[in-house]
Amino acid sequence: MVDINTGLIALSSCIAIVGSAFATAIAEKQIGSAAIGAMAEKEELFGKGLILTVIPETIVIFGLVIAIMIIGMAGE
Amino acid sequence: MLNPEEMSKIIIVGPDSHMKGVISKLHELKVIHIVDHKKNEFDIGAPLENANRISDLIVRIKSIISYLNKFTSKERKEADAERLTFSQLDRDSIKLEAEINSKTEKLKEIEGKINNLSGMRQTLEKIESLGISLSSFTDYESIGYFLGYLAKTEGIEESLKKLTANFGMKISEYKGKKIMALFIAKDKLQESEAILKKFGFSAIESAFLKAMEGDVSSRISIVSKKISSLKNEQKQLLKELKLLADKWLDVLGYNQKILDAELEKAEAPLRFAKTSDAFVIKGWVPKRQLEKAVKELEKTTSKKVYIKTENIEEHDNVPIELKNYAAAKPFELFMKLYTLPKFNEIDPTFLVFLGFPLLFGFMLGDIGYGLTTLIIAWLLKKKMPKAAGFLNVMMWASAATIFFGALFGEFFGFEELFGVELPHILSRAHQIQELLILAIIVGVAHINLGVIVGFINIKHEHGLLAAIYEKGSWILLQASVAVLALSYMKLLLVPVWAGYIGILASVIMLYKGEGIKGLVELPGIFSNMLSYARLMAIGLASVELALVINSFAEEFFKAGGFMIIAAILLLVVGHAVNIGIGILGSFLHSLRLQYVEFFTKFFHGGGQEFKPFGVKQ
Repeated sequence: MVDINTGLIALSSCIAIVGSAFATAIAEKQIGSAAIGAMAEKEELFGKGLILTVIPETIVIFGLVIAIMIIGMAGE
Repeated sequence: MLNPEEMSKIIIVGPDSHMKGVISKLHELKVIHIVDHKKNEFDIGAPLENANRISDLIVRIKSIISYLNKFTSKERKEADAERLTFSQLDRDSIKLEAEINSKTEKLKEIEGKINNLSGMRQTLEKIESLGISLSSFTDYESIGYFLGYLAKTEGIEESLKKLTANFGMKISEYKGKKIMALFIAKDKLQESEAILKKFGFSAIESAFLKAMEGDVSSRISIVSKKISSLKNEQKQLLKELKLLADKWLDVLGYNQKILDAELEKAEAPLRFAKTSDAFVIKGWVPKRQLEKAVKELEKTTSKKVYIKTENIEEHDNVPIELKNYAAAKPFELFMKLYTLPKFNEIDPTFLVFLGFPLLFGFMLGDIGYGLTTLIIAWLLKKKMPKAAGFLNVMMWASAATIFFGALFGEFFGFEELFGVELPHILSRAHQIQELLILAIIVGVAHINLGVIVGFINIKHEHGLLAAIYEKGSWILLQASVAVLALSYMKLLLVPVWAGYIGILASVIMLYKGEGIKGLVELPGIFSNMLSYARLMAIGLASVELALVINSFAEEFFKAGGFMIIAAILLLVVGHAVNIGIGILGSFLHSLRLQYVEFFTKFFHGGGQEFKPFGVKQ
């Protein structure tokens, strides 16, 4: 049985991921549907559409880095 | 390699008498990208006089081809078809069209007749099953009749009896449905119909029966004979149409392609500028083909046309033909998907060729997975030569996956095989922190490569000073932040303010170079670097999933017996799914790192594709 401190560390790194993942999902949802709409009109926009759609991915990467840092700090 | 094909701007001026010759020569050479003339003081040219005739012919041939295609399933072998002359094609296609039209009309007529007769036969069969003679269905003075389907029959006789005692009814079954014939006094017709409706009556067309006499079964056989003779006729017609299709499709298909080319030639003057007696063609020719093209044109027109090359100006929209080594060629796909470079920009195809497989491999990084995708791509390439470009990209990516798999010491997620640990430089499953740092280092290197390419681009376009301000500032900024961080950590014996001065200097340079826009983007470069943490994240997800699959399978193997089959199934399905997810994720994220993090450092794009006259798009 792990102690409560380990659990809290796991939980807090989870929160970092969950929050940032939700933020990314909401942002990408809107950009993505707009990009598909634009692509339907003009197919050459695929490249630009892809780029705009994936920009918010950085948010979840930040969350991931924070999560790893939390786990790393706890290990010290 | 790093630059697109060099183009020369060319102007061809000639008298009308040589226009046709010039057009067919250009069509044959396939080297000039014609710039469509927009009407100004010069009008656009009129199509050659045969353009209308050709386009009419093409329309007719296309309609014949699409019609004949319905009647045959034979593979088309246009390559060995015979080339026909215009007038021959014209004559033959008119004749063919008439023949097909008369045949199809006949076919339609026969089909109509067959439908009619089959309906009749069904009704006769129904009457046969009811056991009534045909002569019963005539016009009576005082009796009317109904013939049709019923939804239910229980109680119908009782209901009718309440109405009248004078009726005769027969009920039988035909193909699972209840049918009925009712003969009843004429004055009770309306009331009885209302009763029948309650029992779900729907009438069968029977008016034609009045004209028929004799035995039902002999009638049926007469109708059947008629139907089968019509069917024979139909078969014969279809056979004739198939013969026509087999005979003509190849020839027509081949000649249609020739006609398409002729039409392109005939309509070419629409893209030229035109005076009353002369024409002007503006276009672009690859520099290395220019000399030959000019010579050929002068030869065909015996130097009666004037050809001039002009200098490229800043605002010219030079068509772009990418020029890369065969190995990097498939990666041009990614440029076409995004946007082609401008003529004075570096063509990043080669850099993508280096970067894309490496980042892909870093993420998927497993010898087993790499081998699997390599074999799949190789097999698919044999099956689908059309997708060869994309599959070549996948093969390079697979090779990189195998390479990184060897570095990480992974084979389908196993870090040891048969008790022997695979040699590795870094174990992804256990050295997460190191993997993260490595990913960021890859990011810093990749981004700075982009900045350096951007430096070269700007130096080329606007001079060295602009390049230092715009791109050098980014490098100074990174260096200053690094110095600052290291001096804070006392790893570098430099006063802390040195870093601050560097940052300040780079910010000022950036402001001079790119203005406010540059300052807004300042934090972006660090988030871009952090973005490469995905190299670790996706790789880790793939490894962990593989480990989970393997450890489950191991438990199953230990259980032995029947469970061994389950374990094998789990391994196969699990790794197949993981490879699928891995390919999708690694592909998209590697592409994203190219497009978003790498390209934004130097690439603008917006070039138009080089489309030489005479090459079918």
